[in-house]
Amino acid sequence: MNLRLNLAPLGFRPADLDRGLLWPLGLLMALGLVMVASSSVAVAERYTGESFHFLYKQLVFMGIGLAAAGLLLSIPLAIWERSSFVLLAAALLVLAVVLFPGIGHEVNGARRWLNLGFVQLQASEPARLALFMYLSAYAVRRASELRSSWTGLAKPLLPLGAAVMLLLLEPDFGASAVLMAVSFMMLFMAGARLRDLAVVGVLALGAFGALMVAAPYRVERLLTFRDPWAHAFDGGFQLTQSLIAIGRGEWFGVGLGNSVQKLLYLPETHTDFIFAIFAEEFGLLGVVGLLVLLGLILRASMRIASASAEQGLLFGSYLAYAIGFWVVLQALLNIGVNMGVLPTKGLPLPFVSYGGSSMVMSCAAMGLMLRVALETARKEAGR
Amino acid sequence: MSLSKSQARNKPAEVPAGPAPAWRQHVLVGLLVLGFVALGLRAFELQVRDRDFLLAEGERRHVRTLLEPGGRGAVRDRHGAPLALSAPVESIWVVPSALLAEPAYIAPLANLLEMQRGELQAELEKRRGRQFYYLKRQLPPSEARRILDLDAPGVFSQREYRRYYPAGEVTAQLVGLCNIDGVGQEGLERGFDSLLAGSPGQRLVIQDRLGRVVDDLDEFRASRPGQDVDLSIDLRLQHYAYGELKAAVSAHNAKGGVILVADVQTGEILALATQPGFNPNNRNSLGENRAAWRNRAALDQFEPGSTVKPLMLAAALQNNIIDASEQIDTGNGWIKVGRLQVRDHRGYGQIGLTELLAKSSNVGAVKVGMLMGADRLFDAYRAFGFGYSTASGFPGEVAGQLTSPYEWGDVGTATASYGYGMSVTALQLAQAYMVLAADGVRRTLSLVKGGSQFEDERIISAEVAAQVREMLTAVVQPGGTGTRAAVPGYRVAGKTGTVRKAEGGGYAEDRHQSLFVGMLPADQPRLLSLVVIDEPRSGVYYGGLVAAPVFSRVASSAARLLQIAPVEGDHSIARVAVGDSHS
Repeated sequence: MNLRLNLAPLGFRPADLDRGLLWPLGLLMALGLVMVASSSVAVAERYTGESFHFLYKQLVFMGIGLAAAGLLLSIPLAIWERSSFVLLAAALLVLAVVLFPGIGHEVNGARRWLNLGFVQLQASEPARLALFMYLSAYAVRRASELRSSWTGLAKPLLPLGAAVMLLLLEPDFGASAVLMAVSFMMLFMAGARLRDLAVVGVLALGAFGALMVAAPYRVERLLTFRDPWAHAFDGGFQLTQSLIAIGRGEWFGVGLGNSVQKLLYLPETHTDFIFAIFAEEFGLLGVVGLLVLLGLILRASMRIASASAEQGLLFGSYLAYAIGFWVVLQALLNIGVNMGVLPTKGLPLPFVSYGGSSMVMSCAAMGLMLRVALETARKEAGR
Repeated sequence: MSLSKSQARNKPAEVPAGPAPAWRQHVLVGLLVLGFVALGLRAFELQVRDRDFLLAEGERRHVRTLLEPGGRGAVRDRHGAPLALSAPVESIWVVPSALLAEPAYIAPLANLLEMQRGELQAELEKRRGRQFYYLKRQLPPSEARRILDLDAPGVFSQREYRRYYPAGEVTAQLVGLCNIDGVGQEGLERGFDSLLAGSPGQRLVIQDRLGRVVDDLDEFRASRPGQDVDLSIDLRLQHYAYGELKAAVSAHNAKGGVILVADVQTGEILALATQPGFNPNNRNSLGENRAAWRNRAALDQFEPGSTVKPLMLAAALQNNIIDASEQIDTGNGWIKVGRLQVRDHRGYGQIGLTELLAKSSNVGAVKVGMLMGADRLFDAYRAFGFGYSTASGFPGEVAGQLTSPYEWGDVGTATASYGYGMSVTALQLAQAYMVLAADGVRRTLSLVKGGSQFEDERIISAEVAAQVREMLTAVVQPGGTGTRAAVPGYRVAGKTGTVRKAEGGGYAEDRHQSLFVGMLPADQPRLLSLVVIDEPRSGVYYGGLVAAPVFSRVASSAARLLQIAPVEGDHSIARVAVGDSHS
């Protein structure tokens, strides 16, 4: 719906795009813009003097994202499949380079951003997409090995493990957990044996557990989320504010723009905790609506992925599974963090939270997903 | 690695190609759907089930009600000069934990507060758990600014108002006092508190963790400043009257005193001062002098003594018990009523009513009183306002005492004739004389500019009032008791009183109350004044010697202020202080 223009030079027509994915996605993005505007007003007024500072920037990011999506829509998937090793190398390089002071930009003690001069790029965002491409290509190339032996599963996990380690060094616990989980889900869909996955999964969980114990602040955070009210004025401050915001929403919300908690009270209102402000302004009704939108996106992703597999386009299918699982899982985790059912982690709500890297790469990922649907449709039609 | 490759090669048939079985997708989607459902239930829990708790937590944390004091109204004199006004001041308060978190600020802050660093530190530590603690109250805005300019975390300022009394002790017992929170405690500050007090504004605000106000909520009630109250007092006259009173009290080493000046045409009180005084602006020493807070004019009662004689004569004339030309035989200056022996200074023989008043003959008064009888005497005093408070609006004004005539008997009737056995306040006595001054109507005394809301009420006829006033002019003329009350250029009608104070069931020999109450010009009075000097201890105590001179000076000054035309060719100016009689 955002692409009602002549895209013929790019090798596809808007009419060919998957409607079932486009419209919930369009609604989600529109909702995101409204929420960025609403939730950031007080922060923007205070720190920039321009109430819609963040909305304008987010609009620019969305424009870049749509351009990236259009670009990916016009590139045949085979090109990505062939260059999977290059993509893997690039992903690891980006994740490694960001750790170096002077190149990586540090915010709140975490070195996650590449300073590109005119814009900060969150390294994990493009790296994740590249890793999904690499894993999809691997699962196609070594299908029988993956489906029949534990080594077939273990091999791609080595570079994946390296990427996760690099992410943990930033540190970005949330992003590494999402990357790990989505990779497992994708490999499961690619036919990896359940028992192999279970073994690797237990090992991975053990490793994560050890990391948590090794870094006491993580344990503390974990305990804090179990009982935020006991730490309401230190570690649990943000979560209690988030819960208060959500609770204030009641059935139908306080109304768009009427959030009290966004008035500099809840930190990160327009980024990681934008859901809490959404829940405050739109109530349970809005929350259920948002979950339904995410469910529709999940349904469309699954449909695209399985249709692609049926046409034998396995690379596209695995990629579509990875992207679909990633968007939905990250959204669920973000909402879970906001509602205090998961430890407080800095994960953006895709297509809604303010942030350039997340917006651009989420759009790019959806461009890829639409390309999968496009190629599947063409094959079905025998073109 | 090599093992797995061989495995893969060994079992190629077991590996299905193509898409994974559908159940795999169902399992993963099922898990995600469980996640959706869990989040939906959690949202229901937060937004419906636990919402009351969360709403309350929210308000408790960051909604604060700011009370913004409505400025208290000013008390002003009749020309607008301020007698009590509120000036904005700042009270510095602190969130102790926020300041303790940044110790570098404590020393400079202590410096500005004129405290030791350790002292401030200890005070903050003691109140670490509190969100609000006054560091210093009621600072001038400039000093508060210097503290706020430190930008110390958790240090804020709250606007308050401090009460100032520009006229100080001159109006102290009249205007009264407020407590530190600006609530009227004494005097007219208390009497008019509901008018003066503003209604505080309420702002519901969002504060951040450090207590900074981040934003206003919709709920807002603007503060409303209190109303100004314009008194009938003329500050210039009040100053003068207070000064004269203070000088007299000091000269006679007296215990205290009252002076009142009223405008006869309107009933407005132009000056009302009492002694001893105190400085209402010096909060630190206020407590030491509590007795001085009392406004004696409204709260102290005394026996009126000889000052009731003109009132009684007016009533007797009004009731045609006597007529103006009546001659009373006072014999050789004493009379016995029952066990009571009443004396004059000397025997005046046959005297007219004018002379009775001029000499203040007790014997003559008793004779007229006995003619009237207890009931009519009681009714007369009652009509002049004894036993009722005057409705001047002064808080706590007492009503004096006038017992029932059935208990008087002959002795009671006789003593009541010359003003004993009852008690009145200075306000009541002035109010009674107002009837004589205002041509026979009761015109309610008022402390508020514009006069009382009560209508005039006729008590005696204008002729009788004029007759009695005419008689009273003799008091200040040679041969009268109050010659020193004469005011050059004006005909004064007035009456002295020298009252022995009651003491342990009898009367003290050496403790007196010296009174003078008078009005001018006698033909058509414009102003009325009353002077009470309590317990003069300089050797003289007669009203004509102690109170009358104060009246003279104050009334003369008041006459000039009111621009009352002097009488042409009046020669009373030259004849002063030749009176032969007292009391």
